[in-house]
Amino acid sequence: MTATGSPGNPNPNLSKPMLVHHFLRALARVNRAAPKQSHARRSRRIRCAAYASMAAAAGPGRRWSRVLLRRLRSSPSSHRRRISVRVARPPRIATASSRVETLRRLVPGGRSLGYCSLLEETADYVRWLDAQVQLMQSLVDFFSS
Amino acid sequence: MDPPSLVPEMWPPPQPHLPLAGMRLGGIMIGRVGPSSSSAAAAAAEASAAAAAGPRDLSVDESSLTEQSGAAGRGRRRRRDTAASEDESSKPVSTSSGNEMTDSEVKRLKVMKSGDENSKGEAALKKPTDQNPLPPEPPKQDYIHVRARRGQATDSHSLAERARRDKISERMKILQDLVPGCNKVIGKASVLDEIINYIQALQRQVEFLSMKLEAVNSRMNSGIEGFPPKDYPSQAYDAPTALAFNPQTPREYGQGSAAEWLHMQVGGAFERVT
Repeated sequence: MTATGSPGNPNPNLSKPMLVHHFLRALARVNRAAPKQSHARRSRRIRCAAYASMAAAAGPGRRWSRVLLRRLRSSPSSHRRRISVRVARPPRIATASSRVETLRRLVPGGRSLGYCSLLEETADYVRWLDAQVQLMQSLVDFFSS
Repeated sequence: MDPPSLVPEMWPPPQPHLPLAGMRLGGIMIGRVGPSSSSAAAAAAEASAAAAAGPRDLSVDESSLTEQSGAAGRGRRRRRDTAASEDESSKPVSTSSGNEMTDSEVKRLKVMKSGDENSKGEAALKKPTDQNPLPPEPPKQDYIHVRARRGQATDSHSLAERARRDKISERMKILQDLVPGCNKVIGKASVLDEIINYIQALQRQVEFLSMKLEAVNSRMNSGIEGFPPKDYPSQAYDAPTALAFNPQTPREYGQGSAAEWLHMQVGGAFERVT
């Protein structure tokens, strides 16, 4: 397996073949399971599959992948359940907070992280998201050619 | 030793530990300060020796006050360390070089000045009644002051804080390498902005590409349907559920020929792109 990443990579096992494998399986599953669904629904499923395969390829070592998978698994009923589950968190100290809070919202599971680990998770998440986007782009190119 | 320098040490029998503790703290702090600690100690010994041996009557009133307190403390310490070896403790003084002497002079001047400022009012009160044990507060304050000023780097809290800052900046650097065009940006806030923009762009691109992939994929549906269905675990067809962390996926991975072919194609293109 090719482990690509920068030398200072905290998580060196970014295996693109696993990502390709997961995503292709998920894509085939979407095609087979829902051939007659509407386009919006199918594209939403494909998007969910993209995130799920990304998280699955990243493995459970990262918080963002765990949170993403949990969120995706419980996605149909999460909107109802989340309200009762949510616990009021102490407000964070507002230093440069708008950007950091935005980052916390963007990275899955980043709300409860400290600044240092938020940066680490962000780096890993960006790496995988980048790989996923490239994979999808190459798939689109491959299918449309 | 000079008898008057020993008097304050012998004088307060009820609390002999307090000044000793103060002096020990001072010694530790001096030893921690830097490379000139040995010279400082030697200088201190030299100062006490000079104050104790001869020219105490030559010194002025203010200096005699500080010298007295310092000499009392040092005499105490020396007595505690080696009661009999006074000449041994005076040996490193003779071997100390000139610049160290100047350094020690500066330090002693500082000590004298701060002690003078601190205890000038008390000196007027306590000088006539020499019976009062000179409180070790002036040297203690001095050392605490030195610790607050110089010891910031060796404080455990500041060490932890510095380690945290190093870690944050290192991760920031990793992120800057990851996000294209982020190296040119200066400032933490704009780097964060760049990162946020990049993540949002990637997420939007995932959305857009999934739409595009859906459109393309429905046209190319036959190609993907050509997968042998036995390749897939039949328990769950929902994409997120079936994509659990399955440890045996790499083993199934090489089985289906069509899947492998497509994977080779796409994966090859994908690897080439990246």
